[in-house]
Amino acid sequence: MPPEVSRRSFLKLAAATGAAALAGCKPAARHLIPYVIPDENVIPGVPSFYATSCNECPAGCGVVARVREGRVIKLEGNPADPIGAGALCARGQAALQGLYHPDRLQRPHLRGADGLINPIGWEDAMARFAKALAQAAAEGADRIAFIGPPMGPAYEMIVNDWLGAFNSRMRLAYRALDDAPGRAAMQFCFGTEFKPLYHIDRARVLLALGADFLETWESPVELARQFAAFRNPTKEDGKTRFGLAWYVGPRMSLTAARCDQWFACRPRWEAAVALAMLRVIIDQGLARPGAGVDPDAMRKFAAAYDVGAIATKSGVSAAAIERMAREFARADGALAIAGTDDDAAHVAAWMLNAATGNLGKTVSFTQPPHVQPSGVQRDAMLEAMRAGSIKVAVIAEANPQFSMPAQTRFAQALSKVPTVVWCGTVPDETAALAHLLLPADHWLEAWGDSAPRPGVSGLRQPTMTRVVYSRALGDILLDAARAAAPREHLPRYEDAQQAVRASWAERFNGAGATANFDDFWDQSLRQGGRFTPPPVAEARLAPGVFVHPLALPEVPPAPALTLVAYPHIFWYDGRGADKPWLQEIPEPVNQIVWDSWAEIHPDTARRLELAENDVVRLSSAAGAIEVPVHITPGVHRDAIAVPLGQGHTSYGRYARDRGVNPWRVLPPDRLTAPVAAGRTGMRRELISPLFSPDMRDRPIVETMSLEDFQKGIEPKPWEEPYPEPYETYPPVNYPVHQWGMTIDLNACTGCSACVAACYAENNVPFVGKELVAQGRIMSWIRIERYIPQTTDAPALLMMPMLCQQCSHAPCEPVCPVFAAVHSNEGLNLQVYNRCIGTRYCENNCPYKVRRFNWYKPQWPPPLDLQLNPDVTVRGAGVMEKCTFCVQRIRAAEVQAKLEDRAVRDGDIVPACAQACPARAISFGDMKDKGSAMMKRRADHQVRTYQALKPLNTLPAITYLRQVYRPREEV
Amino acid sequence: MKYGAIVVAVLILAGGVLTALLSQRPWLAREDVVQPIPFSHRVHAGIRHIPCQYCHEYARRSENAGVPPIQRCVGCHASMAEQVALRPVRKPWIDREQAPFEVRWNRVYTLPDFVRFYHSPHIHAGLQCQTCHGPVQTMDRVTPVYEINMGFCLNCHAQRHVSIECSTCHY
Repeated sequence: MPPEVSRRSFLKLAAATGAAALAGCKPAARHLIPYVIPDENVIPGVPSFYATSCNECPAGCGVVARVREGRVIKLEGNPADPIGAGALCARGQAALQGLYHPDRLQRPHLRGADGLINPIGWEDAMARFAKALAQAAAEGADRIAFIGPPMGPAYEMIVNDWLGAFNSRMRLAYRALDDAPGRAAMQFCFGTEFKPLYHIDRARVLLALGADFLETWESPVELARQFAAFRNPTKEDGKTRFGLAWYVGPRMSLTAARCDQWFACRPRWEAAVALAMLRVIIDQGLARPGAGVDPDAMRKFAAAYDVGAIATKSGVSAAAIERMAREFARADGALAIAGTDDDAAHVAAWMLNAATGNLGKTVSFTQPPHVQPSGVQRDAMLEAMRAGSIKVAVIAEANPQFSMPAQTRFAQALSKVPTVVWCGTVPDETAALAHLLLPADHWLEAWGDSAPRPGVSGLRQPTMTRVVYSRALGDILLDAARAAAPREHLPRYEDAQQAVRASWAERFNGAGATANFDDFWDQSLRQGGRFTPPPVAEARLAPGVFVHPLALPEVPPAPALTLVAYPHIFWYDGRGADKPWLQEIPEPVNQIVWDSWAEIHPDTARRLELAENDVVRLSSAAGAIEVPVHITPGVHRDAIAVPLGQGHTSYGRYARDRGVNPWRVLPPDRLTAPVAAGRTGMRRELISPLFSPDMRDRPIVETMSLEDFQKGIEPKPWEEPYPEPYETYPPVNYPVHQWGMTIDLNACTGCSACVAACYAENNVPFVGKELVAQGRIMSWIRIERYIPQTTDAPALLMMPMLCQQCSHAPCEPVCPVFAAVHSNEGLNLQVYNRCIGTRYCENNCPYKVRRFNWYKPQWPPPLDLQLNPDVTVRGAGVMEKCTFCVQRIRAAEVQAKLEDRAVRDGDIVPACAQACPARAISFGDMKDKGSAMMKRRADHQVRTYQALKPLNTLPAITYLRQVYRPREEV
Repeated sequence: MKYGAIVVAVLILAGGVLTALLSQRPWLAREDVVQPIPFSHRVHAGIRHIPCQYCHEYARRSENAGVPPIQRCVGCHASMAEQVALRPVRKPWIDREQAPFEVRWNRVYTLPDFVRFYHSPHIHAGLQCQTCHGPVQTMDRVTPVYEINMGFCLNCHAQRHVSIECSTCHY
């Protein structure tokens, strides 16, 4: 800018240019194209809802898909479903981006002689598939293989019948993260594979042996809800109830951070710690074994474990083991759960539960799931492939090339199969090995069902028409069978939809479906399935359990390191890595985005001469990976923790060539491996949107010790409040409503489901690694994470931070164009069309919740189909922020007006509050003292505080302090 | 040099103003819209007294008023005397071989992306369609009578003492 042009005239010029730019806007859609024949169930502008069930992990939460004008725009939990109970985790919500992924296979592809894939038509593809099948079947039995996850009763029936039609039994039910150790322990302890139902909320004491139940273990939404109830501090008859939780494991996971204490334990030594606890319980005469447990055998068994030796080797002090054992045994309800790759830890957890009489109390049992996929084990399948007896392999909804450890040599085995058919959505590493690639429907487009446990039968129905030229997996299989299988073996149903219906008719015949199956079916579809209390089974410890001592692992000589690979809270087994939301939402504990990292203890890093962001080479017997170092005290000294899920060489533009895949160095069936670590001399910066791990003594996340809570002592304020609130402006008057929020930091687990919900609901753009590094992440709500430097605090402080909708909002008076204005309902509005992008508001916001669009946001088609039509898509140069989901407020107000009534409490649920598995967020009218939100404040008066209160911003969000027990020095 | 800057400023400003004046502001209701078929609101709403919401049926339930499906047209016209102009509309309903008749209406009223408008509460409040859309029952070809801009909305809202908060329409 030449010096002659003053700032003032420059702004004038800028404004004029702006006018010119605005006038050049592209016109909106200029045509109105009516239906020829309208769909009775579609009112343009009014959403419809379809109940279905989530397929992103085996937990099987119920989902309600919100559909506008024929496309799914949001996924929320199904309140009728007892597992999710209306909540949905970030992974479930991000399934939308799998549905609309821009790199989904659009049409069938055939791999040519040159190794490249070329599109072909469906008829051609199916003819080739059928021909290969017919030839294979003609050669004899067991020539056709099917590899896919356990897929629910109806699809198991289809797959069984399909394989049967070709006289084959080669079905591999493959899950990358299989709970084989848990099932083996169940078999060993109880003689049957019961399905355990955990009731954390019925326990007073919880011991987690490497079980990350708030992230990926078992059923995270359900267990997070139970954990919130377990940790809700209440006073009953003068006594305080506040669940006591410990975590024993090699790394401080999110679950560990939310427990009272994380005990850093040498990898695979969790079992030993539990057995030492058992020893203490028995030695001190605290055992209360339930029926079927022989006390003498138990005493003899436990005597083999020396508490002192285990303490030294595991790293968990003897004092801690004794204290845990005493509390565990004395509690009126305790629960030990194990989530490691080690059978012994699971067995030890059952022993602890049994020795303290908690079987049937804090954990009950039910019959195993109705349909267990039958078939062969992995090694038998691989052997058959290598021997050349498999002629056609169909791989669906699974990515074994990515998730089978290198030593299984899956690719080599698969190369012996003449025809490999891949069915899926986004072509992954396994697709890269296939000859015929068939685009299968996403679970939001297809029929299906799920039976995560007895009593819960989820139905899956198409929520919208297809996004690409795909077909349902069931239809692909059935069409191929019709074309290729002998006539007498043809399945008895036409297509996948009929198969699901037939399967349900069969299963529910006599169980409520007697009178009229059509009505039963419609009702089941409407509510998303059938939900009944699970039939409880009596489980008794098998007599041989306490006979043979469990072997403890060797402790390797001093400098040996163990790689601990763990399923990432968002990428899970790798299937989440292709979804930009799941890449961009920071992992709650380490707050790193769009990359892999290796968690290394500071002492170990010093010994290896590694600094933050140095790339370390981890080599095991199977191979080596190179990954940047993240130095954190949240990992055991002899462990290096790397999240699973990244390191794709394929799988779409967001996953490809990003991070590393620890399965390359893991041995089969293990998530731990001895590794050697060495410097590479390279660096790669790990990107985090976090401002600082330290609160610098500001009152952002507040906590109170359990003792203070019991006595009702509020913590000392950070600074003396203003003697007289200093007001420049007249007080704001709220004539009808003043919207507010209460967030219980004690319930909040940091799982970030709210963040995903906000991305989906409010058209918040993702920006990618480079822009996050520049501090330009766009999320309207984030999980703030701070690391206290004292043991007189929780291990990590976490809080959902979003616009506080201040009554004295610092952002408002600085806006030169009145784009930031205050509404008479207490909202800090951001009027996008007024905003000229000065960013004064952002600079003046003490909570740093305003986001600026540096560029025009991009949603590569068809990702843009997910955009919520009720929310403006902001352009470049515009400031945006949380609106308390004003579109939902408006929709509720309009609905109330149409019904000639006032807005009722509970009519408005913002996306974040709706998604929260722990129900930590409540929303309501601050002027209505009877609203659930205000009652929550009143019920927990002693815990209420407002973030950065001394600034006198008068936020509409009141937080409830986290209650903690001081941790012990370890 | 100082004058130079002013001249540049004036030129750019003039350019901006001219562009703004000459360009079609895409959200303004348009005078010149010609429809693909000669449908007359005067005949339907004026002479025949068909209520607006018989065809624009979603107005009381949704943010959109809705454009009638072809089925709605045929519903009446199928039972009426043969009219040459209506043959392409009716034919596909009698002859299954015919491709369905589709209309791509040209929009007369458009709102910019940052404005949210719900028809339903306005209908519920007893507003006549003509309040915003003018005497459509007298028009063969619909042309806007009022310029639907923020002032138009605010005047009415202010007169009727309903909310004039920004978030009523902008979010």
